[in-house]
Amino acid sequence: MLNKFLTDRLAKILEFMHPWLIKTLGRDRLEYVASNTTNEVTKKLDPFIWTYDCKAKVIAIRQETSDTKTFVLLPNQHFSDPIAGQHIELTAIGPKGDAARCYTLSEITPETVSITVKLNPQGEVSPWLHDQVAVGQVFNISAARGQFVHRDQQQVLFICAGSGITPAFSMINQLLAQPSTDKASEVGLFYRTQSPENTIFSKRLAQLDSLNKQVKVELSYSRLPVDVVTPSFIDQLIAAYPDIKQQHIYLCGPELFRNDVIQYLESINFDMHNLDVEQFTLPELLQDQQSIKKLDEDVTVLLKSQNINFVIPASDCDKTILEAAELQGITMEHGCRSGMCGSCKTNLVSGEVSGQKIGRSIYPCTAYPASNQLVLE
Amino acid sequence: MAKTMDQSAQDEEYEKIHQAFEAIKQKHRDDLGEKDVRYIKKIRRNSRIFEVIGRSLIHILPGPFALIGVPFLFLHRNLEAIEIGHNVLHGQYDSFDEIPQFHAQNFRWKAPVDETSWRQEHNAVHHVHTNVYEKDPDLNHGFLRVNSQVPHTRLHYFQVPIYLFLFYPFMLYNFNAQNLGVVDKFRKKYFPEGNKGYAVLDESLRLSKAEGKKRHKRAVRRIWAKEYVLFPLLALLTGFGAIKVFLANLLADVMNSYWIALTIQATHFTEPLQPEDAIKNKGKWYISQLDSSVNFKGNRWQSILWGHLNYQVEHHLFPDIPAHRYPDMALEVQAVCQQYNLPYKSNDSWRAAIKKFVGAMWTYSFKNPEVKDEASFLDKAALLNKAALLNNEALLNKEATNVK
Ligand code: FES
Repeated sequence: MLNKFLTDRLAKILEFMHPWLIKTLGRDRLEYVASNTTNEVTKKLDPFIWTYDCKAKVIAIRQETSDTKTFVLLPNQHFSDPIAGQHIELTAIGPKGDAARCYTLSEITPETVSITVKLNPQGEVSPWLHDQVAVGQVFNISAARGQFVHRDQQQVLFICAGSGITPAFSMINQLLAQPSTDKASEVGLFYRTQSPENTIFSKRLAQLDSLNKQVKVELSYSRLPVDVVTPSFIDQLIAAYPDIKQQHIYLCGPELFRNDVIQYLESINFDMHNLDVEQFTLPELLQDQQSIKKLDEDVTVLLKSQNINFVIPASDCDKTILEAAELQGITMEHGCRSGMCGSCKTNLVSGEVSGQKIGRSIYPCTAYPASNQLVLE
Repeated sequence: MAKTMDQSAQDEEYEKIHQAFEAIKQKHRDDLGEKDVRYIKKIRRNSRIFEVIGRSLIHILPGPFALIGVPFLFLHRNLEAIEIGHNVLHGQYDSFDEIPQFHAQNFRWKAPVDETSWRQEHNAVHHVHTNVYEKDPDLNHGFLRVNSQVPHTRLHYFQVPIYLFLFYPFMLYNFNAQNLGVVDKFRKKYFPEGNKGYAVLDESLRLSKAEGKKRHKRAVRRIWAKEYVLFPLLALLTGFGAIKVFLANLLADVMNSYWIALTIQATHFTEPLQPEDAIKNKGKWYISQLDSSVNFKGNRWQSILWGHLNYQVEHHLFPDIPAHRYPDMALEVQAVCQQYNLPYKSNDSWRAAIKKFVGAMWTYSFKNPEVKDEASFLDKAALLNKAALLNNEALLNKEATNVK
């Protein structure tokens, strides 16, 4: 009885200390301590810290617009520093079992990350986040991944629509936080939404615009009262950023919107090397069941330890996973390359391989892809 | 014609040897299960019990009596470093979902050694190119010279006392420095011929300078923080002697390093250098592992304290099979060796093994030792070659008589 009371208390105190622990100790040290103190007792006492999973806890929820909320997350020690523009995959503990979705990080601080989620009533994960999740909720997340990140271009223009604002918002904030010497000289943001009420981060965008000389924000609305005559959004874009051809463009939004913009850029002979388009490569695949690979199919591989994903073209699928990865310029840990030393051994999180394996443990140097998607530890 | 026959007969023999060892490996892989999980958990539990007893005694007992706690703390650190750490980092327990704490990726060592660079050096280089000149980093932890090919410097005259009294007490720290490239730099700077004769970290595997430094610091500091700051401080705060705790922990640390040094140094470098291309043929590779490793005898309990590294032969044949299976596997390996006339080397005791390796260190501390380096089994290829030749001749003779 007393015992239970005490452990409950202790668990509460620990829970209270999470942000402090991560801040003062740092994730790296916390990981070492936690890994060396994991046992049956500690695992029960605080499953957030004493775990080998990458987890995050909701520490604040903000309503952005009527159907959009921002969730501020505190990831545990298994999360490593994200780059603005990257996304995480979140595993919801829904009524129909686990479901995973990717969300771009809208804000990054040293200890926390935020995701900004629009409610999609037909969806599986966003209704859960909106209706069920309260502060304190813990779920599994992946490491931050994605190549949609700023790469030191001087003039950048973000063109986004809807919840596509999230990567732009975190990237702009990151750009502004950089030491003034290597700051991008100009940052433009063209943001298309339905109406002022539906504009995510509207106040903070206005602030960004007025407080920073090098930032120019242009909002564009698709659903204004009928009597207001609006030009097409492309016209508005040109008017706001006449030197668009000199900019490096980051494009993010619904597919139709993206296509319109790309079509326009093609029409003005925009150099497509200066265009980055946000695409989640894995999530669509993750939704449907793993299927056995057909002969002519490419294989998507995710290496969790290195946090990279790559595609093995169908023509390379007769090569070992190690070789195929190297052909893509990716190095995986290895030694003998012939299945003897065990250096390459890793665990299969999902997917199938043929060749040398023990249960879920596989030897990439002597194993071959056998499903169209592989996730390796 | 005779030559190609010879060659193909040999290749066939290598293939048979390869299959024979593969069969042992497969048998134990198929048998992996509950037993292994229970084993490693039990070792961890015991290690923790030893830790509690050791640290409490060191904490509470006054002055020199705290020494009573040191052996317990040593047991804890030793089990964590080798029977658990070394084996887990080989991925021996990776295939058991229920024990993520013993997966190579998750495991964090209680030894002052960075896991990632160690895995690189040990699993991917030492275990692949065992006893290969200028390839195997374990042939020359530090500046060691154990064959006459390594250029001699004045430092080598003193290698026996330097290792026994200066390096072995902090051997684990030295490993870490070596894995992270610190030793390469030292040799480059102070040795007339630089790194000639030594295995150098492959440029492509080398971590960036900053990353290496960071990892080095991190690996060492996490141990120091616990052993030399946290526990002494705890003693101080509760009114016990901090210095006493500090010294006792230091002693356990040194014992741990020394123990491991004496264990692993006894298992390879007394044996012949191996041809570099052994890895190209699996049968040859198995033979080169047999030829470059040497066991020493001990009972099951002792073997646990040696992290089963006294079954070095089995460990090198099957680096990622749980080590507690090696005593059983040894019998099967011996049978194969007998069948194919392969070397199976074993010292009668730890003492004999230590004597032998210190002897080798002494021998090669001189510029021109009286002894000649022994050639490897593969280079001699004596038995196989002869057998093949004899077979051929017999065959040819037979044919000749038939024709007659
Ligand atoms: S690289 Fe040696 S087993 Fe795969």
